Amino acid sequence: MTSPTPDWARLWVEHETLYHYSIPVEHALHVACLRPLTDDGQQLMQFDMAVQPSPAQQNILIDSYGNSRSHFALHAAHSDLRVTAISEVLVRARYADLHAAHGPTCAEVRERLRYRSHAPFEPASEYLHASPYVPMLPELRDYAQASLQDHRPLAEAAIDLMQRIHRDFLYAPASTDISTPVMTVFEQRRGVCQDFAHLMLACLRACGLAGRYVSGYLLTVPPPGQAPMVGADASHAWLSVWVPGLGLDRAGDWLDLDPTNACVPGLHHVRVAHGRDFGDVTPLRGVIRGGGDHTLLVRVTTRLLAEGVGEPALAPTWGGAP
Amino acid sequence: MSSTFPLRDTSASAASGWVDEWLRRARPVDPGHHDELRLPDGQLRPAWRALATQLGAPFDELSRCQEVLARQIREDGITYNVYNAAGGSSRPWSLEALPLLISPEEWPWLERGIAQRADLLNRILVDTYGEQTLLREAMLPSALVLGHPGYLRGLQGTQPLGGVYLHVVAFDLARGPDGAWWVVGQRTQAPSGLGYVMQNRLSVSRLFPEAYRALNVQHLASTYRQLLDTMSTLAQPCAGGDTPSLALLTPGPYNETYFEHAYLARYLGLPLVEGCDLTVRDDRLFLKTVQGLSPIHGLLRRLDDDFCDPLELRTHSTLGIPGLTQVVRAGNVVLANALGTGFLESPAVHGFLPALSQHLLGEDLILPSLPSWWCGEASAWAAVRPQLAQQVIRPTYPVLDTPGGLSARRKRQQETVLGFTLSPQEVRAWEETVAQDPAAHTVQTFIPYGQTPVWSEGGLSLRSASVRVYALSDGRGGWRVLPGGMTRIATRDDGPVSLQQGGSSLDTWVISSEPVDAFSMLPTSVKLEELAQRQSPVASRTGENLFWMGRYTERCEQQLRLTERLISLRAEDDEPEQSLLQALSALGVQFGMVPPGTPPLDKLGRLFERAALDALGDAQAGQGAYSLAFNLSELTRTAQALRERLSPAHARLLRAMATDFQQALCPSVPVDPTALAARVSTVQDALAHLSVQLGAVTGAQSDRMTRDAGWRLLTVGRLLERLIGHVRILQAFWRNQALQHPQGFDQALEMFDSTITFRARFQRRLEVPALVALLVMDESNPRALACVVRRLRTELGKLPERAGAPSDLLALLPPLGVGATLASLCDPVSGHGAMMNLLDHLLDAGWRLSDEVGRLYFAHAESTDSMVSA
Repeated sequence: MTSPTPDWARLWVEHETLYHYSIPVEHALHVACLRPLTDDGQQLMQFDMAVQPSPAQQNILIDSYGNSRSHFALHAAHSDLRVTAISEVLVRARYADLHAAHGPTCAEVRERLRYRSHAPFEPASEYLHASPYVPMLPELRDYAQASLQDHRPLAEAAIDLMQRIHRDFLYAPASTDISTPVMTVFEQRRGVCQDFAHLMLACLRACGLAGRYVSGYLLTVPPPGQAPMVGADASHAWLSVWVPGLGLDRAGDWLDLDPTNACVPGLHHVRVAHGRDFGDVTPLRGVIRGGGDHTLLVRVTTRLLAEGVGEPALAPTWGGAP
Repeated sequence: MSSTFPLRDTSASAASGWVDEWLRRARPVDPGHHDELRLPDGQLRPAWRALATQLGAPFDELSRCQEVLARQIREDGITYNVYNAAGGSSRPWSLEALPLLISPEEWPWLERGIAQRADLLNRILVDTYGEQTLLREAMLPSALVLGHPGYLRGLQGTQPLGGVYLHVVAFDLARGPDGAWWVVGQRTQAPSGLGYVMQNRLSVSRLFPEAYRALNVQHLASTYRQLLDTMSTLAQPCAGGDTPSLALLTPGPYNETYFEHAYLARYLGLPLVEGCDLTVRDDRLFLKTVQGLSPIHGLLRRLDDDFCDPLELRTHSTLGIPGLTQVVRAGNVVLANALGTGFLESPAVHGFLPALSQHLLGEDLILPSLPSWWCGEASAWAAVRPQLAQQVIRPTYPVLDTPGGLSARRKRQQETVLGFTLSPQEVRAWEETVAQDPAAHTVQTFIPYGQTPVWSEGGLSLRSASVRVYALSDGRGGWRVLPGGMTRIATRDDGPVSLQQGGSSLDTWVISSEPVDAFSMLPTSVKLEELAQRQSPVASRTGENLFWMGRYTERCEQQLRLTERLISLRAEDDEPEQSLLQALSALGVQFGMVPPGTPPLDKLGRLFERAALDALGDAQAGQGAYSLAFNLSELTRTAQALRERLSPAHARLLRAMATDFQQALCPSVPVDPTALAARVSTVQDALAHLSVQLGAVTGAQSDRMTRDAGWRLLTVGRLLERLIGHVRILQAFWRNQALQHPQGFDQALEMFDSTITFRARFQRRLEVPALVALLVMDESNPRALACVVRRLRTELGKLPERAGAPSDLLALLPPLGVGATLASLCDPVSGHGAMMNLLDHLLDAGWRLSDEVGRLYFAHAESTDSMVSA
């Protein structure tokens, strides 16, 4: 007898970023986008972000995508910077009831997003256009069209596209960096999770569909009997495609897809932020004065605290990292 | 001045003769273009008739005026594009003598149309960063707002102070074939040209003062004042009761329009600052000054959005002010214009404006835009697709700086193409390009621009013209239109009108039927208590440039003297003394006049001389010699970065000094480099001329500059350089015992410019103690070490107080006199040692003071920002 599939999981994530500068930094401004989202599909139970040395000033802002950002400033000279974000997140199954063969077709969704004067506006248009890391490329439209055929239900077509990307592209750590253009990734047929997310977004947008970038984490320790998943030593990235009328309680009209692992995210993906591309949701960025050369170390540790079926106990298990 | 037109007999008969003469000199207009000069019946238009009547027909004068303008522009250093040391050059601004005339009948209507459009654009911005009803009601496609890189999400929901997004907005206007005006473009981010407009006006009105008055040409000054008033009023809440501090933000001297930034800053009385001069603390903006951090409440910016804040707006550039966006969100600064207005510059927006005008203002647009089709709207693309060969295809979006650069295909998308210049195959190729990404393209109707006369080769040639006009916000929802503008003409009549492609500019005369507002830029309603304390802080970078200006000036002077000394050796009757040659060789190397490793004068004198002459005119520091031409060009470069602080005459003098010297040493007819005697005489002439000019420069520095902290730093720079240089001269003479001989003795006096004083006091005695008394100990001899040290003490003591300054600086100098007594320096036994000790000590003090002044007052101007991302 098999136990029923869990429909919630409680995850613990520690994300530590360490900078060491060869010459002290005199003055620094940083923006951190590290606080996981809370919405129908996920609940942030506990969060703590510590910055060392202590910032002279800190502001928390909610950006136009609904992400929480922390702006902080350091005015005293420092040779090291350590930012540690610890999150405990309750993740709920969002796509258990997904029927990919139903729902609107690619052509229908494209039509809803197309501009005509006096046609109703779709807020998902925010994710329809080119953005700095996701240019409009006809080559990608040609590639995508084999999956995103007009008459085909979008959810099914997008899953097919994701699987093709997974098949056609090699996951090759350190084969690219964040400045590698999508077109190069497409030509080289290799990259890392951000590249695949950007590539698939470029495919969707070139076909007149809306897709957003998702930054987050993926649980590293696989449950017994399941294969380990790739891309989890650092933060992870995937994407979400707009499928109106998907009709899922906990996901709304957005279907998350992880082309790096060719899966529809379940209980092991923690979402931190949504944006048009990486540039909107960079986990930690800054402008420093001085500093010379720097070394960077990023450590992400994820733990499964509990999982189960039905209603979880909502009390946080703070400090309960195994 | 003599270049203005003489008064004319304006009797009716004479006037009609001149009008005929103008008509006779006018060349035909190109077919299909509106003629600004003549009516369809071939007569002069009334405005031109009025001008011709005023000017008469002295066409030779016009040719001369044109030359006068070109010369003025060259001398004033008015430039358009980039000055860069790496081979680029600054191109002189190009200005025509004859203005564009706008008649009194047309202007009120244009004025209303421009103000209406400014109002409309501001309302669109209020909505798109606020409620977004225009998006929700599909009055504007999301692709042109959310899809445009100029729309800044970080400012969504942030209203700028007073709700004013556009403090200055510019529209490019041109006339169609029937004479009707069209709006062909709009500039909303940081419109350029206001500085050139004023400069053009001053130059041209000076040529034709009578006509300028007689035609009631509307004045510009009070509209400029409006800009300052609006910014001050809007910035009031940030200043907490004080008078708001404003500044003009420039990308720096390498920008193509830096001249006008400096000009405008000087004209408006604003400090000219670069991104690195500003810093953010606690969500507020500060200027880094030699006095410390000084708050800034308003920035008139000439920097595009992308470059304003590396933290939030563009991750590939470290220009700008990290954290500026957050200062804006906190409501602590007025940016003119607000960040995030760039998406309105897209040509695609024009097609939506008529409906938006109805929707937001309930009015039709007074001034039409060129008919425009945004191809992202399927119906528009379908309608315009068959007509591509007659239209203009333009990119909807600006060049987006994507990681990894642009592909060839994307570069192609960024071009503007005139359909009628394409072959049928090319039209089809473009049709395919547009179809691949329709949203990225906009098609506009082509109009041949109206043509206005310019004086050229003895006649009036007609050139296609567009006029950039400006609307300025009054801060309370109203708009004021600058009665004038920048008219630009194409070099060739079929070319596009753009200054980047070598066009020229015209003053724009808006003629009034009534007497004009004769305001000039005098501040109104200044509070008396403010007048007393009105000294603006000196930006650290400005302070640093002034300090180096002082040092370079003195260095040039010292090199000038040393070169003169070298040359004078040739004229000596006797063979020069070995010790003197050794001293001068050592100084030549130390002062960078010959490349390191040049054999000394006493060994291979000819070789040394030739090396010194070769290096003299070499502004590139070739082979490691930093000689006179190099220092002169550094001085000019420093002055260039200080443009807004120097009087035009002072700046002109500095430029002339470097150019004259270069030209004198690089004659058009090449001189045989081995003909040493001929070269020497050329050099002597050049040095003599330079000496006079340098005298004028130092005079301007000590007598004509405001004695604020900046001037003090300039003076400290000069004095430190003098201390260091003069100590080295004495060291070289002392070490080589060159003073023991009459030649050396005289040369030393010459180098300290003290021969006359010495003769007056000591006649022709060659006693070293007398020389020490005059060159070292004498506090009244401006070249003597004791005097330099005393003045340094005075000026350092007046520098702004910083941690440890000026007291720590003063501690580096001897507390009294020069730090030794005459007796100790002239002691027959210990005198030599005492002198060498004193000189070592003073040289060390000079170097350390230079470092310390830099550390205390300019340190934060130097280090640069870098980006990190994880």
